Amino acid sequence: MRLILCGFQVLMGALLFAVPHMTRRELLFAVPVPADFRRTQAGRSAIAVFRVVVMAALLTSVAALLFLPDEFMAMAATSAPIVLMMAGGAAFYLQYRKLAPSAIQFAGRHEAELTDAPEELPRFVWFAAGPFVMLGAAAIWMSQNWDRIPARFPVHFGFDGQPNRWAERTTRGVYGAVLFGAELCAWLLILGLAGWFGSRRSVTRSVMLGGMIGMGYFAALLFALISLQAPLGLPTWVPMVAPLAILIPLLIVMVRKMSDPQDPVDATPNECWKVGIIYYNPNDAVLFVQKRDGLGYTFNFANRWAWVLLAGLVMVMASAQFVIG
Amino acid sequence: MMATGPRIKIDPASDVPVVRQIMDALRVLLVEGQLRPGTALPSVRRVAMELGVHFNTVAEAYRQLATEGWLDLKHGRAAVVVERAVPVVENGARTADFHTRLRGIVAQMRSEGIPADSIAAELRAIAKVVTRT
Repeated sequence: MRLILCGFQVLMGALLFAVPHMTRRELLFAVPVPADFRRTQAGRSAIAVFRVVVMAALLTSVAALLFLPDEFMAMAATSAPIVLMMAGGAAFYLQYRKLAPSAIQFAGRHEAELTDAPEELPRFVWFAAGPFVMLGAAAIWMSQNWDRIPARFPVHFGFDGQPNRWAERTTRGVYGAVLFGAELCAWLLILGLAGWFGSRRSVTRSVMLGGMIGMGYFAALLFALISLQAPLGLPTWVPMVAPLAILIPLLIVMVRKMSDPQDPVDATPNECWKVGIIYYNPNDAVLFVQKRDGLGYTFNFANRWAWVLLAGLVMVMASAQFVIG
Repeated sequence: MMATGPRIKIDPASDVPVVRQIMDALRVLLVEGQLRPGTALPSVRRVAMELGVHFNTVAEAYRQLATEGWLDLKHGRAAVVVERAVPVVENGARTADFHTRLRGIVAQMRSEGIPADSIAAELRAIAKVVTRT
């Protein structure tokens, strides 16, 4: 289990390490810069300092996970990813502060095409049914193999790989995870559709919708495997590791597609970004804008629908208490 | 596949108010016949999102053009370009006003260093479009 936790920590560290390159060339640490800025001394130095901090936090947390005595492991397993994220966040913010004074304002295009043609969704949107089919299939399998499900089975495991929470063979105990997965997939789909209809026309808009559908597959596989793990007698690591087979290729494809320099930069005003992360512009009708701190989209928090969508996520998360128990 | 149609463009850094820029850009397309009677314009929401402005700004531009007789706005329906009767100019006062404004624009172009030849060529090109429409 220590090795699995270290593996996750290293994966997270690798993702943080790649953060400076997980944006368009015109953005560095959420600051709009000239496209060739990364090759300058200032650009290289900012990236190097960020990575040194991430590497130090990664090595410290991995050492803690490997060498701390067992009685401290529960605390280390919880705090190691938090410490790494906080170190990455702090390093990012420091570089943002350093580069912000030399930010440029994107000219961008403020153009509208005057056509009333309906906005057709891409054909691949039908793939959004897949996650629900997967979860439905898991539920059907469990109902048909009810007797194979143990009367009491583990649903949560500690850092040592030992179960620390159990469920009983009741409707809620058996179908809870599948139902929660379906809620999450529905929210992801709504988010993807809101992104399609609530952002400016661009190539990355369909990548975002595809990404949300892909995340639905990831969530569906995760919760289907959590449900099936006990009846099928799968090893505990399977539900944790198998969904990565969807997540990692999905992230790679999205990063590659969203880095396309041919797609115009979203020319949002610099003064409407708070710390390069939060966009708040009451004078912009758009719901989603291209992020500055990474690839993808973020909310325009001045749009009330952003809060409605976030409230939906809170409700989905809160429902876990009642659905899963 | 994206549909193609005429485009309007604004400059958020300009001193000209955005609502005026939208109206001017639409009026050019209407006068030049690129937007013909019967053409439905995209929704206020879509134009506002693409231009990065507030809904009310686009709605106000549509309302002003409807007041000028270019658009038909009905609640719950797309704004539609309508056939517009050319108003009769009663005296030369309005013409004189436009003449003054046009000279002002030309003077501004010259003061910003645009060569006189380029300005003249631009005016000739505009005149050609005006006589054609």
